[in-house]
Amino acid sequence: MPLDSDLKRFFSENVEANMDSIYSLALRLTRNRADAEDLVAESVTKAWASIKKLDNPDRFRPWLFRIVHNTFISDYRKKSIRPAETAYDEAPCEGTEDVSAILVHQPNDFLNWWANPEKAFFNNLLGEEINAAIDRLPECFRVTVILINIEGLSYDEAAEVLDVSPGTIRSRMNRGRTLLQKELWHYANEAGLTTPDKAAGA
Amino acid sequence: MPMRQASRPQTKLQVHDMTHEPEEIDDSCLEAFDYLYAYLNDELKDKAAIAKLEHHLGHCKSCFSRAQMEEELNKRMRQSDQEKAPSTLKSRLQDLMDEL
Repeated sequence: MPLDSDLKRFFSENVEANMDSIYSLALRLTRNRADAEDLVAESVTKAWASIKKLDNPDRFRPWLFRIVHNTFISDYRKKSIRPAETAYDEAPCEGTEDVSAILVHQPNDFLNWWANPEKAFFNNLLGEEINAAIDRLPECFRVTVILINIEGLSYDEAAEVLDVSPGTIRSRMNRGRTLLQKELWHYANEAGLTTPDKAAGA
Repeated sequence: MPMRQASRPQTKLQVHDMTHEPEEIDDSCLEAFDYLYAYLNDELKDKAAIAKLEHHLGHCKSCFSRAQMEEELNKRMRQSDQEKAPSTLKSRLQDLMDEL
């Protein structure tokens, strides 16, 4: 058992190293800066209270993310759901809808449009627009995509954060990314990027 | 903690000959899709599954194109600017740490 002073140093250094990440996650969960700050502060307090339960120091990052996520679920989630999207966000994450159904029914134009030689779509797509599309995903898919594709967690680590199996993470990743494709296609249509002249910047 | 993606190659996707051009997504495409994200996220460990997927992607124009898009999207997401913790939060956490 490390001395309390060593433990405190370990904890402080690791919280500091992960501060931007946990704030970013908290902000994406709560969609409100004041709530995100409160969520982070509350999570860090809880983390310190249970630091001696952390079995493997190398797993500090997913362990802290898990506390942030659990604190969000227990104390902030209801407040963060916008009335208009309640049904969307509460859609079952492990529904029976096959990913293939989404793919097969995607507009036929989608791949032809994406595959145009200029790749104009991505050239015109801003990071903030990708972030906005991620934010429109149902919560369970949104969190999975953020943890893995933005925060760089492994499937095992993301499974630990969300207290599900790695197989569930894989399934959520497949469905979440398929839905993200649909969101980007929708955005591109709305922004006129699917019109060849506009997509090329004319 | 080192970021996993730092060592990733620019692209994992290799073109062979695009002889598989189904009018619509077929079963082999759906099977490939099932493994695609795990593959692009460096989470597919089964060598036989990797070989089968790479073979399909190397020969199927629509799946290759979709995989290219997803790989590009992975790259853009990793590079996207994330909100940094504001100074108010940093000082709040510093106060918390000082009280430990």
